[in-house]
Amino acid sequence: MKPQQLKKLLVYLSKDYTIFGPEKVGDRLLIREIKDAKKFKLVNKKPFYSHKEFLIPSSQTLFNYDKNKLLKPRIKRKQVLIGIPVYDLKAFTLLHEVFEKDVYFQEIIRNIILIGHSPVPEETTFYEDYEEHILEHLRFDIFLEFKPKGEFRVFTGSEDGQRILEKVGIKDYEHVEYAGAVPEEGLAITEKIKQKLVKSSKNTKIWKELNKRCIVCGKCVISCPTCFCFNIDDEPAFEKNQGSRIRDWGVCFYEEFSEVAGGEKFLKTIGDRIYNWYDHKFVRIPNEYTLPGCVGCGRCIEVCPANIDLRKTFRDLKKLLKSKKL
Amino acid sequence: MKNIYQTKLAKIIDIKKEAEDIKLFTFKFVNKKDQTRLDFTPGQYFILSVLGFGEAPFAYSSSPEEKDYFQVCIQEKGTLTSGLFKLKKGDKVGIRGPYGNGWPKEIFSKRNLLLVGGGLGLFPLRPLIRSVVLAPQKFKKVQIFYGSRCPELLLFKKEYKLWQRYTDLCLTCDRRSRGWKGRVGVITTLFDKVKLVEDPVVLVCGPPIMYKFVIQKLKELKFKDKDVYLSLERRMYCGVGTCQHCVVGGKYVCKDGPVFSYKEIKEMPQAI
Repeated sequence: MKPQQLKKLLVYLSKDYTIFGPEKVGDRLLIREIKDAKKFKLVNKKPFYSHKEFLIPSSQTLFNYDKNKLLKPRIKRKQVLIGIPVYDLKAFTLLHEVFEKDVYFQEIIRNIILIGHSPVPEETTFYEDYEEHILEHLRFDIFLEFKPKGEFRVFTGSEDGQRILEKVGIKDYEHVEYAGAVPEEGLAITEKIKQKLVKSSKNTKIWKELNKRCIVCGKCVISCPTCFCFNIDDEPAFEKNQGSRIRDWGVCFYEEFSEVAGGEKFLKTIGDRIYNWYDHKFVRIPNEYTLPGCVGCGRCIEVCPANIDLRKTFRDLKKLLKSKKL
Repeated sequence: MKNIYQTKLAKIIDIKKEAEDIKLFTFKFVNKKDQTRLDFTPGQYFILSVLGFGEAPFAYSSSPEEKDYFQVCIQEKGTLTSGLFKLKKGDKVGIRGPYGNGWPKEIFSKRNLLLVGGGLGLFPLRPLIRSVVLAPQKFKKVQIFYGSRCPELLLFKKEYKLWQRYTDLCLTCDRRSRGWKGRVGVITTLFDKVKLVEDPVVLVCGPPIMYKFVIQKLKELKFKDKDVYLSLERRMYCGVGTCQHCVVGGKYVCKDGPVFSYKEIKEMPQAI
């Protein structure tokens, strides 16, 4: 597919959909509304944040209430998300599994067209296993593989994707049938090793050291494309007996995350909470969904003001294992 | 697709003051079908919502045999309860659930039971006691150890006479105080003072500190880990294992618990 055809595709989509894609803002690549599809150029870089906000909004109204009536808002926004590197697609495929029975997520995803693209090797990104066959385990509508001279090899992953390309007259695409999120061979061996490392490290000094360094800013959680913890709270309106029940992103690093009425907290130290974050990504998610909870985008490393680096944590864990302290 | 966050309306049909900041609420679903279909296991919980104050999980305090209403005993402690305590008879709340796993009902008819409750820990044990009272034929021998800091804080006092007809109710207060003629000492002292019912399954609910001492005592007495069950309290929002607030040792208290066998708890670091 030639670059002009991508423009044609976006111009076509912009008639029915609002398009969100990466745009350079200062020195950051941020996801913004693409108002002029003709001017959009898909750059070969990772957006600073993922498109997570569009799938699980940081603040989502579950209900508007009036006296005792709960009214669920209808979600009808038709959106195209473009500029999703393959690891973010992987994260969204996981979110699909996690929120399989969540009516809000399902309503949003039904009206979204996902346009993914191949990853770009970057310093912090440790996602290495990009191969064609992984596409069958990812949820997407259209997938663009970067080729020289601004050209793309095009894949479709859904009927919507096929229909759209046909409408625009793009014929040189290959269709990939979605074969479920989990590959036949199950969890990759590299993930199984990480699971074992984290699981057996609960009482090691690694978490105590991170306890000293982490400043509990929560940036890693916000920037992580797979972090999905949430809180649910009511926000009263000015009118009496009216308001909304809101689901907000939760940050498991915050002290009050495990606090119950009366003040008791169960994840007491920062170290406890960091361990819980690793345990969720590398132990619990693989157990529950047979998928990795970390897709290797490297954003948590880039945003951390305390220079905490997940790759170093794993190097340290491996060292502990070798020295038989694990 | 079913919306898991949709609540069902229930009406407050009675409020009884149990202690200074503790009330027993009796609810009835507004929709008759919701009420007749209500079924749960003692020890299970539901999520209660008061519009404007949010939601919070509470264990049922009435028994599944009580078909026309359900009850919950609550201490005013957090945001939601401050809203709930302002409500009056006839006001409505939202309910979703039941959620989680309750006490091991498969053993109720097969084994003697020893219920160990400390303070507010009696709340999730009361449905079981109510079941024993209302359907004694379903149970073998039931013994209750209930401890409180002081006599004023002993809950459900008016029901003890009835409970004593069907169970061996043993009370203790931590400290000596005027007018209290019963046993004095922390709950573990009951194990030395009272003859235990034969080979029971032990169901424990109380503050975290109590668990440590009760478990220690049960170990001394050579109880098997699989014969001891505990109910855990954690922060919860979703009730279905997604929001992550209630996680402990790789398990979700909201859907894998709140009742766990001590055998499971041993594998869950920082559970108690």
